[in-house]
Parts: sequence; structure tokens; C-alpha cells
Amino acid sequence: MARSKPSSSKKQPKRGVDFKKIKRKIGRKLPPPKNATNTEIKSKAIILPEQSVASERAGLAVSKKGLTLKELLQQTSHHNAKVRRDALTGIRDLVLKYPAELTLHKLAIIEKLRERISDEDKVVRETLYQLLKLVIFPALKKDVPGSLISLMMAYIFNGMTHLATDIRLMAFKFFDLVVQHYPSSFFMYAEKVLQNYEDILRKNHIYLQDRSKLKNALVGLVRCLSLLPCNRRTVDPSYGKNTETQGSLHAYELEVPKEHTDFSSIIKRLEDILPILVNCFQDFIPLVHPMSSLDAQSFDCMLYLLRSIDLSVKFFLYGIDKHQTDFGVTKPTYNEKDMPVWGEIATPVFLRKFLEVFPLNQLHNTSGKDEDKFFILNIEITEIFLHSNEWIFTSAILMERFLEFIENLLSGKIRFNSRSGKALQEKHLTSLLPFIPRLVSLVANTWKSRLLQAFTMAFKDCKPESTLNLAFLSAIEEMLLPSKRQGILLLDASEPEILDHQITWIRELPVLLVRLGDTLSSLSKVILHLLLRLGQYAPMNSSLAWEYDIMQHTLGEFYSMCLDDGSILYGPFMKLPKDCQELSVCCLYYFSSLDSLLLRSLVYCCLCDNLEPSVLFRIIDVLHSAYKIGHLQLVDLISFFVTLVARWKVLPGRLYTHVENAKKISNRETFKAITGAVCSCLRQMGDDALIFQIVQRVILDEIPLNPPIDNLCGMLRLLVILDSRPTKLSEQSIIILSNSISEYLIDAASYIPENGDEVTDSNQISICQYYLVPCFFLFDRSDKLLNLVLDLMGSSIGEDNSSLACNHDTQHTLDLSSRIVAVVSILLYMHQDIKIRRRLSSCKGEITRILQKMRLQLMQSSNEMGNTLEERHKIQFSFDRLKIAAGQLNCWDADELKIISLFE
Amino acid sequence: MEVVIASSPVDAGIGCWDLHSGAEQLRYRSCTSTPHGLACVGQRFLVSSQLRDSSSSSGTILYWSWNKPQVEVKSFPAEPIHPLISNSDGTYIIGGGSSGAIYFWEVASGRLLKRWHAHYRAATCLFLSDDESLLVSGAEDGCIRVWSLFMVFDDIGMEMAKHPYEYSFSEHTLRVTDVVSGYGGCNAIIVSASEDRTCKVWSLSRGKLLRSIDFPSIIDAVALDPGEHVFYAGARDGKIYIAALNAESTPSNIYGKHIIGSLSDNSKGVTCLAFSMDGILLVSGSEDGTIRVWDAKTRNIVRIFRLAKGPINNVLVVRRPLYSNFQTSANSHASLSRRHVPLLPPPLSKYVNSTDEIVDSGAITVPQTPSSDIMDAPYLSSHVLTKQISELQQQSSAATGMEVDRLKLDCKRSLEMVQKWKEMFADLHKFCVDELLGNDQTQTQ
Repeated sequence: MARSKPSSSKKQPKRGVDFKKIKRKIGRKLPPPKNATNTEIKSKAIILPEQSVASERAGLAVSKKGLTLKELLQQTSHHNAKVRRDALTGIRDLVLKYPAELTLHKLAIIEKLRERISDEDKVVRETLYQLLKLVIFPALKKDVPGSLISLMMAYIFNGMTHLATDIRLMAFKFFDLVVQHYPSSFFMYAEKVLQNYEDILRKNHIYLQDRSKLKNALVGLVRCLSLLPCNRRTVDPSYGKNTETQGSLHAYELEVPKEHTDFSSIIKRLEDILPILVNCFQDFIPLVHPMSSLDAQSFDCMLYLLRSIDLSVKFFLYGIDKHQTDFGVTKPTYNEKDMPVWGEIATPVFLRKFLEVFPLNQLHNTSGKDEDKFFILNIEITEIFLHSNEWIFTSAILMERFLEFIENLLSGKIRFNSRSGKALQEKHLTSLLPFIPRLVSLVANTWKSRLLQAFTMAFKDCKPESTLNLAFLSAIEEMLLPSKRQGILLLDASEPEILDHQITWIRELPVLLVRLGDTLSSLSKVILHLLLRLGQYAPMNSSLAWEYDIMQHTLGEFYSMCLDDGSILYGPFMKLPKDCQELSVCCLYYFSSLDSLLLRSLVYCCLCDNLEPSVLFRIIDVLHSAYKIGHLQLVDLISFFVTLVARWKVLPGRLYTHVENAKKISNRETFKAITGAVCSCLRQMGDDALIFQIVQRVILDEIPLNPPIDNLCGMLRLLVILDSRPTKLSEQSIIILSNSISEYLIDAASYIPENGDEVTDSNQISICQYYLVPCFFLFDRSDKLLNLVLDLMGSSIGEDNSSLACNHDTQHTLDLSSRIVAVVSILLYMHQDIKIRRRLSSCKGEITRILQKMRLQLMQSSNEMGNTLEERHKIQFSFDRLKIAAGQLNCWDADELKIISLFE
Repeated sequence: MEVVIASSPVDAGIGCWDLHSGAEQLRYRSCTSTPHGLACVGQRFLVSSQLRDSSSSSGTILYWSWNKPQVEVKSFPAEPIHPLISNSDGTYIIGGGSSGAIYFWEVASGRLLKRWHAHYRAATCLFLSDDESLLVSGAEDGCIRVWSLFMVFDDIGMEMAKHPYEYSFSEHTLRVTDVVSGYGGCNAIIVSASEDRTCKVWSLSRGKLLRSIDFPSIIDAVALDPGEHVFYAGARDGKIYIAALNAESTPSNIYGKHIIGSLSDNSKGVTCLAFSMDGILLVSGSEDGTIRVWDAKTRNIVRIFRLAKGPINNVLVVRRPLYSNFQTSANSHASLSRRHVPLLPPPLSKYVNSTDEIVDSGAITVPQTPSSDIMDAPYLSSHVLTKQISELQQQSSAATGMEVDRLKLDCKRSLEMVQKWKEMFADLHKFCVDELLGNDQTQTQ
């Protein structure tokens, strides 16, 4: 570096020849460059005469008084209170009229308005409160930038520490408003806000006069505290909650911590606040006792104080619980150091003192309204007691007092007097009921029975549509079944008295279910779930399981009932939504032996048109499963299945129908599916031969009732599936079967496509096959059956149709000619089938007889007047076709054929 | 040799076929197995729990060795055992009883190590997770429970814990028919099938339901694809449905959501499924008595085996050691090889023994590997280990003192070393700076 310097200095003078150096004197103004632009602008003023103030603001949003937003905002800081108030109302008008203004200028508006939070004038503050509450917050609900809240909060805190008590209390009201609309804002400022509450409550004696203000502040506190997490003893059981569908199971999940706030600071504050709340409440007590009546304001104050205490106690409990469940699991929010602070040590002492005041009673008998007030207060205290029960060692006397109160409450000895009392009582009872199971399991035996007695009574008296039922049911579930989390039974069912109560509850359940009907399906679902859990978890061979089995007698009514006059009264099952139906079907699985009466009422439901097919299939599934584990008799199940197949109503609908009958076709498809399901169940049952015997017996009982063609077809299918070759059918049953099969075939013949028709519906062919194939199987397995059937068909041709008409409905009474056509087409169809053709050749005698009969008819009809020429032609045509087919069969020799043709 | 073994509830014996050649092996006689009641214990012998008429109170478990068709060992547990599994080493047999209890036997001694009340109703299926630390059990009441085998044997821990099981899933409304678990030990997923026509996928790490899939029919068997992309569900309608595990499938499926296809051969209901070792061939057993081997990739049938007329309820794919084959093929060597083949372990005991013989052999008794001669003498490492531990404990005070001294010395030495290095570094630094500065000075001069 040092060396390079001199060389560069030498080179410098050589450069710089290109530009001439211009020397200028300092201070002289340079002449303008030649290429400079002239930037001077010359103009003359244009003056337009103004018409009025309003015209200028035509495009702007103005209030009723014609002021723009800007002006209004300026006026809010006017020194005159009246002007400020007017400006606020003006803003209100304007925003209501032009909502867009608000969204555009929200920041400016809030910025200006917040200054008024600590306005000296009461009316102005009130107006501002209304403005925020009614207009601005609802409108801004969607987009809440945090900055807006923080803008407000600065002034609210300012107000909270204001010297004037009015402003102070009002500030709490404003904060309440903010929290109401943006609950998350509480956690951001929780510590500071609670500090302020603490301050204000500490000086409560100052505000005792002004109770309504104090009440307002307390409302805010209650709202804030209710945002704190607590153990939710929800009345609503969590089942039925659908799992959210997840796109992928193995994917990485972004874990967002749901409880983001650090609660440790809140805990400390709450610990400070709780004694103050208690003190505050105790300040009120002297007011209560001497006075004959309690004014509404102080009652509200007391109520809110109690609520706040309750909520903070709940929060502490939540912390303790959390500590226990998360033991060993490191959670970033709670470090070990915080844990013991969760209010375990400090709180109980003064809480115990506080609980001593219970029950609040009046000295004088006064109006009913006051009694209600005391009642409500007592309930609130009881709730606090129950919450804190777990970590306070209470004296026996106090415990007695509380228990007695609860008992009285349950048994209804204490009642509300006022009109709205009933609803109120329900509401309060709902909040107390979740504690009952724990309480019962902990208290001494005498109290245990008294509480259970009262509880059972209350449950029995409860109306089915009452909201209380949910609370009752969840309490019952807790007391009946091993709890989900702990896996242990809360109550010892071996004690006869407890068992008695449990049995009473169980018996009450189906009754309640029936009484509910389909009015409250959500409640029905809860009951059904409880029943299902009971079936699943009741220990085997215990009296509970036994009770569950007995329940099926009453449960039959839930499905359907057969009245004396033979009509069927469907139970609530039919009308409930599908998930309830499935649940109730699942309950059936757990009866250790299904009663045939219940099966009967179930079958009525299955036969009803309104039942969804999917539920029907579920019933079949579940019954089959129940049979597999031995909860159902084989005979019962089979008769259930056969009845289902024999009686299920297939809507008559011809196949070549149009759109309107689409439903009817699907109905037949459903029936096919049912038959299929039943068949597969029957096949899985085990010993085919044995099952075949039972099925055959049941079916033969059904067949003489002349079931419709579809049902008969279904039954034949059942037989065919179980039968083997050669047939296992008994002689007698073959005779019975042959009777109905011959009629059945003639009916089915109408589905056989006309031979030679160029277009035959593929659907129709499949239907035809569906009807005929089971018969073919039977024929294939038993020659005797075929002989008998052919015989019968032949004789039916010869018979007079009037004799047939008497024992068949109109569908069966075809006139003779069409009967003949039907028989022939059946025979021809059979002839097409190779297997059956072989069988047919063995019974040529029958076929000959049929041919002879036909010829006879032909001759007769030529003599008779009644038969038209057309009919005669039809018979002649079928006769010829059959003759050809018979010839192909080679079943007779030429001589016989000649004889027949001779007759012609 | 990879073989397919299958058994039936009717007395058709246990069929055994070579999966790749299709050749039928020995048929083991007189077996009427329960569903999920067939297992192969450590490739050494077959075990099956038996269906018996409900009148007898005790159940039956039978052993067959590979090379004899007759039943070799019979044991009679206190109650009928339905599902039966063994761990991969064959040290333990776990069975689920009809009262809902789970039994845990040690194979080598036949002792009943543990019996605990697991369910309210009869257990229907059991599954060990791939690291064999978790046991998943399903029951007739629709409940699925996950047990940690460490916890089960930790009596003190059991008392401390709120519940003995890890998880209890009760979302199924009807009997659980099958449960399988994927890879990943305690982070795996499990898939369960139930008679309520659903299959449910659970997460073992989070203990919650991930997915519930509705099927058109009841699913009796489930098999997980080795890659866990899909699982195969054998249904009562004879189809094997393929359900997606990873991605959201298109909603336009004919069968329903998440079901992406099916394998179908117009058979009767599929009762059991198993994957071959390579994860390509899927073996299914059916109600109609046939065993079909499918290529899961092409969805074609590769082979069909026939066991009996009656239904099949168990299919397993196991590796069968070759030595037994030698024996059957070469009778001349029979006398020689008989020495190799160990006798089967004693029958399983009925009750938990409270006698103190447990103290005697405190550790796991490792099964003898039949093919190796070296393993002839059973050695109990636990004795050595306990001895060493006690020795260590005794010596500890003296030993640790010496150790501390030594470490102190080490530390001192190291510190000296550090000091030395520091000095050296300082010298070097100084030298370098001097050198540079000196150089500069000379330059300027």
C-alpha cells in the first residue's frame, strides 16, 4: 500500500485535458442554462358564488343537523356538555344512516370517542355508552383489530383510576361492554382489570349507598370471571358428538395452544380478590337480618358477589384438577413453581367462615317474593359449597345443614312462590344435580339413603319434556355405570337399598322413552345411549343385568303394540330420527335372551312401509348377531325371518311403468335385498338340515294364507337355498306346495315375455327369471312336485273359472282363455330350460292331458256363444305352439300325436 | 418356508399350505377353533383355543407340533378362551376369556403369570402392537381397551393409576370383530371393526378417534396394508373392501366415503384376512370353506385352497422352520433328528400360582431354539446379573472413592494442560503481533 501511493500521484496531471476548467466567482448568480424549462404558472382566480351550506355537502354524509362526521368529531371535545352530547347523538344518526362511514373511519371515530369515556358529564358518558353498545360495536363485530381495543383500553384504565367514583364505576361498565363483544380482550388485560376491581371493592363502604353502580361493576366482574376456564360439569353428555373428519391420518398437525394465557398472574390477583368479595358479601349480611324486606338492588349485588365467588372457586378447582391430570406432563404454561399457588392454602380459611352464614333466613315471615330471593341466595351458596367440597374439611353441623337444604330442594319441600318460580327452580336444580353422584358417594349412610330417596322422587316427578331430565340422566349414568375416566363404580350396587334405587331408575327409563314420543329426539337419544351403556357395562349375572333383561317387556311398547282389535299402534321408534333408531336396535343385542313378544312388536315395525330399509337391514344384522352369541332362540329368529319375508308388503307395480311408479320398482328391489339378507343369515346359522326343517314348518304355516306372488317367491327362495338335491321336503309339504306353486306359476306367467316379440325388456326378463328360477330348482330336485303341479295346471284349465273365483282374489281369476295361454307359456318357458326339459320329458302323461283339455276347450268354445273369435284364435295358437314343443320333447310316439290331431 | 395355516369352527383340522408353491402340508387333526383362536408360538408349534359346548365351564387349548398331526398337549384353562395370541418370540401366550378376563401365560413353564379383569363381556380379539409393549383387546360390548404390558405387571403402579388400561374406546355400539395395529409402537394407529357396520381408526398416541368409516355390510376381518395407505376389510357380503387411510377420497364412491374399491369373488362372507410376509399377497378365509390368496396390487386371485365344507375362521401366514420338513421327508433320519426336536412345553396352568416358585427363576425363560445345538443348556442370565448388581452395591463406596480421586487427578491435570495451552497461545499471539507491527515499522522507515 505504501508503495502504490506515489505512482498514482504521478499519473494525475496527465488526465483532465478533455474538460476545460471553468472558474466562477463566489456570490455571483449564474445565468440560467439554455435548456431550462419555464415552470411559471399564471392564473386568474375563478369565483363561484356559493348558494348554501347544504349544497356544498351534497356528496357527503351528514347527520340530521347537516353536520359532517369531521365536524361532529370535533364537537365531541367541545367545552359545553350539551354540544358534546348532541355531537354523540349526531354521530349515532350518521352512522346508522351511512354504515360505510363507520368502517372507513373507524379508527378516527374511536380515537375521538374514547376521550369521552372519562367525561365529567354523566349524560355524555351515558350517551357514549349507548352509542358504543347499540351502534358501533355491533357494526364492527366482524373486523376487530386489536389496536382498536387497545386504543379504548388506555382510556378505560384511565377512567378506572379516576377520582370521581361515578366515572370510575362507569369505566367498569365500559370495560364490561368491551369484554361482552370481544371476550378475548379480558385475558390481555386481566391482571390490570382485576387489580382495579380489587381496589374498588375494597372501598365498597363508600359505594354502599349507590348500589346500582356497584351492581353494574359486579356484572362486569361476573362476566370476566365466567370467561376463566373451569371444570365443565356439563349437563349435556358428550356422546353423539361427531368426530371431525380428518383429511389425512398421518399428516403433521399444527398444534396451536388453545389456552394461550399465562394464568399464574390471574391466580394471584384472584387470590387477593376472593377475600375481598367475601368481606363485601358479609357487609351485606347485617343489612339482611334486621330488615324485613330486601331491596332489589342489594339483592342483585349479593347475587353477583356470590356468583363471582363461585366462579373464582371453580377456577381454582380447575387449576388443581389440571395439576393432577397433567402430572408428569410438562406444560409450558404451568411450571412446577406455580402449582402450589392454586389457592389451596389461603382460601379455605375465610371460605369456611363465609359458608357459616348459610342458610340465610329471615326473622319475620314476609311476602313470598322475598322468600324467593333468599332461596336463590341459598342455592348460590350451596353451589359454592358443593364446588369447594372437595378441598374443604367442613364441620359436620354445617354439612348437615347443606345436605338438608339439598334434600328439601330435591323433594320439593322448598318451592318458589312466584309465577316464574317453576322455571327458576328447574334452572337451579340443573346446576345442582351434577353434584349429586359425588355427594352421595361421599356422605354417611343415613344421608346417602335420604338423598337418594329425594333424588328418585324428583326424577319420577319430573315431566318428560322438562329440561331437568338431561341433568337427571347424566347423574343417573354416573351412579349406575362405571365412570368413563376412572373405570370404577361410584356406588356399591351390592347394598340392597342403593340397588333398589338403581332398579327404580332403570324401570323409569323405558317409560320415559315411550312418554317422550318423538317430541324431543335429543333426549330420547340420551336415554337410548344410557340404555346401551347399561347393556354393555352391566356386570354379567348381576341384578342390574337382570333388570336390563326385564326391561324388554316395557320396551316393546316403544316399538309397536298390537291392540285388542288387531290394529297396530306404532310406538315412538317409527318416528325418531335414524341415529336414534340405530341406537335402539343396538340395545337389542345386549338382552341376554330376547323375548318373543318384543320380537313380535319389532316385526310389526319392520313390516311398516315407513321404516327405512337401512334400519331394517340393521335389525336383521343385529338379531343375527344376537343369535350368534346365544341371546336369541333359533326358532324365534327363523319365525321372525319367515314372517318378514312372507308379510312384507311389496307394492304391486307392473314393470313396464313410467316415472311415477319408480318407487314401486325400488320397493321390489328392497324386498329382493331383504330376501338376500335373510338367506345369507340362514346359511350362516350352521346345520342346514335342521334349519331347513324349521324353515319348512314355518313356511308351510304361512303358505295357506295365500301370500302375494312376491312373498311366495321369497319363501320359495328360502326353501331352495337350504334344500339340497334330492329334496328334503316331506310328502305332505310337497302336496301343499304344489297347490300354491301351480297358482303361482300361472300368475308369474304374465311376466314371461311374448315369444317372437322383437323387443323384450331386459328388465322384464330378469323379473321373470326371478320368479321362475326358484320353482325350477324345486322341480329339478323333486319330480313328484313337477308331476303334481302339471296335474293341477291341467285340471285348472278344465275347470270352470267361476269355481276358482270364489277362493282367489281378482288378480288370480283370469278368464279361461288367458289361463290357457298362461299355462302354455309356462310350459314353453320350462321347455327352453335344458335341465327342466329333461324333467319334462319324464312326465309326458301330464302334458298329454293338458293338450287334450285344451282341445276339448277348443271344441267347446266353437259351440259356445260366449267365446269370441279372437279368444278362440288365441287358444288355437297356443295349442299349436305347445304341440310343436311337445313334439320336440319326443315324449310320445307318433301314434299318440296322431290321436291328438285326429281329435282335431 | 412361508405357510398358510387355516382352521375352522367345524372339525376339519388345521390346514397348512405352502404359500408360494401351493403344496398342501400336513393337516393337523381335531381342531374346532374359536374366531381369532389360532396362533403359532414362535414358529415352533401351533396352538388353538377350542370351541366347546357351553355346558362345560372350562375351556380347552391344544398344542400341535409341526411334524405330528395329533394333538400333543392339552390344557384346560378356567374358562373358555376365545381369542389367543402369542408374542413373536413365543415366550408368552395371551388369551381372552368369555368372562372378559385376559390370561397371560408363560409358554416354557406353562405358568399363568397374570389374569386380570379386562372387559365386562367376553373378549373377542387381541392384538399386540409391533413393539409388543401394548396389548389391544376388543370385546363383545363394543369396548376396545389398550393395555400397557408394563403396567399390567406393575402392581403398585396399577394402584396409583386411575384406571388400569391406557385407553378405553367405547364408540362402537356392537361387538368388536377385529382389531389390528399399525407400525410405530405407541404412536401407531389401530383399526377396529365392529358388527355395527363401521370400522374405526384410532390414534394410540392421542387416544382418540381419528376416523369412522361406514361399510355396506358387517366387517369381520381387517388387515392393514404394510405401507398403511389402505386397509382391507373382509365383509359378510363376501367382498373385501379397500378403505383409504391417508388422503381424502373422492366422494363419488359407490360404496361410501373413504372406501376406494373392493376385491370380490362372489364368495360367502369373508371371516379372516392375513398378509404374507412380503406384504403383497393377501390371504382371506371365507364362510364357504375356501382360502383365497389375492395379489393386493393387481387385485386378482392367485391361488385357492380348500379346507372343508364348513366356514373358516382363522387364517395365518407364518414362517415354518425347515427342519421338520426334513424329518417328514427322510424317515431314515427320524431317529437322529428326534433328538433335536424338543418336547413341547407343559400345559398351561389353570390358576395364578401364588406359591413362591416364582422367586426361583426371576427372569424370562427364553424358549429354546430347536434348530441350534448350542442353545441346549438353558442359561439364566438374571442370576449373574443380580449377583453383579449386589457386588457392585457392596463395592460401591470404596470404588466410588477411588473413582473420585482419579477424576480429581484428571481434572487437575487437565486444568494444568489448559493453563499451558493458554500461555502458549498468548506467546504466539504476542509473537505474531510483534512480527506484523515490526514489519510495518520497517516499512514506514
